[in-house]
Amino acid sequence: MNKDVGIIIYSVSKITKYLKNIFNNDSILQNVWILGEISNFKLHSSGHLYFILKDENSQIRCVMFRGNSIRLGFPPRDGMKVKINGDINVYEKRGEYQLYAREMVEVGKGDLYLAFEKLKNSLRAEGLFKEEHKKKIPFLNKKFAVITSPTGAAIRDIISISLRRFPHLHIMVVPSLVQGASAAQDIAQKIDFLNTYFNDIDFIIIGRGGGAIEELWAFNEEILARSIYNSKIPIVSAVGHETDFTISDFTADLRSPTPSAAAEMNVPDINQLLDNINALRDNLKRIILRKYEKKLERLNYLDKNMKYLSPENKINQYYQYIDEFIYKLNSTVKNTLKSSEEIIKKDLQRLETLNPWAVIKRGYSVCRKLPEHSIIKKLKNVEIGNHFEIIISDGKILGKVDKKEENSNGNNE
Amino acid sequence: MEIMNNEKNVPFEDYLKKLEDIVKKLEEGDLSLDDSVKLYEKGMDISKICLKKLDNTKQKIEELVIKGEDKYSIRPFKINKEEN
Repeated sequence: MNKDVGIIIYSVSKITKYLKNIFNNDSILQNVWILGEISNFKLHSSGHLYFILKDENSQIRCVMFRGNSIRLGFPPRDGMKVKINGDINVYEKRGEYQLYAREMVEVGKGDLYLAFEKLKNSLRAEGLFKEEHKKKIPFLNKKFAVITSPTGAAIRDIISISLRRFPHLHIMVVPSLVQGASAAQDIAQKIDFLNTYFNDIDFIIIGRGGGAIEELWAFNEEILARSIYNSKIPIVSAVGHETDFTISDFTADLRSPTPSAAAEMNVPDINQLLDNINALRDNLKRIILRKYEKKLERLNYLDKNMKYLSPENKINQYYQYIDEFIYKLNSTVKNTLKSSEEIIKKDLQRLETLNPWAVIKRGYSVCRKLPEHSIIKKLKNVEIGNHFEIIISDGKILGKVDKKEENSNGNNE
Repeated sequence: MEIMNNEKNVPFEDYLKKLEDIVKKLEEGDLSLDDSVKLYEKGMDISKICLKKLDNTKQKIEELVIKGEDKYSIRPFKINKEEN
């Protein structure tokens, strides 16, 4: 304590300790029962529960440590109405008071939850959630619009994921409120505006990042549901976390669990598209090549068959047959001729030896009676005075028979 | 060529679908070689249009500023990294 300036000055720690002491000694704040609705519920990995207990006007931060939370007979969640027993005290590090819960009892269902269920049921009965009314989110061709807070994490996520997937992209951001009393009407009006003045928007994403259930409440309001239902442009609802379901989600043409997922689900991945197209092109080439090869194979096969069956082939075969025949014929004839020739040769040789001229050439002569040219073989063939010729090797001698003389032995033949 | 008409107005996915159909038809059909070649050429043309279309759009991130019942303007959108 510092008395230099005449007043007491406390350190933050000292004054916090003082406050904590007041809480500790207050008979109401210790071992108190409080009724409220759970909101912003978080289950820490340590097993401790952190949440806010609230009603229409106020809220109080709560913590339930693992030793108490494991004894709970139900899983607490946002919107649940509960009675909690515990101590209210100061969390010195943050200078905040909070309820250290020991025991928790569920008390019916929370009011917000009831309102939500009531609206959901009546809109469902009216047909706002019907599958057949839902439009298909078209493949992105031109541009899409995002109705959300221009400064939130949602728009940043949507833009960065979208551009990563498809760089040549046209996004139109339509700034709007995403929480508070007039948020639902603001979003609804913007949906109507886009439908009136734009015809080149493929789809609209409406949404916001995660938050407590009351922060997402705009997306549970009827005015927004009706605008979504009436929109000619398909609507993607992307509100909060995966576990948050809103009336918008049910009415929209598509629910995305988160804003990031809205981009993942609806913006095509250009690399995948390119791969897809290239694979199709490869398929085309492969198929046509295979067809060519098949036809070519068949053609070759037919060509072979054709040649085998063609008249040309038949004629050639006949030619061959004829050729062979002629060859055979030739050789037969040749053989016959050859043997004939040999016979003739022998005969000729024999003949040669019998040729009278050959005898004459050796020095003998022939005598013939003239004019008949008949060979004189016996004396009786001629008379005295007949003319005759003697044929010798180099000519003939003409003469006249003077005298005929018979051989003494009379036998010289 | 017939497929080149209205190329701008036909959505990308219609072309992709056409291309897929052609490949399917070629794959299972007992088409003549002539028809197959025709189909093949058509497929290759369509695939080129697909590739061209992917490259076609310019990147634009805009902000719609509504100024009244029926008035609006469009300006480039700047991501504000300070808030939130």
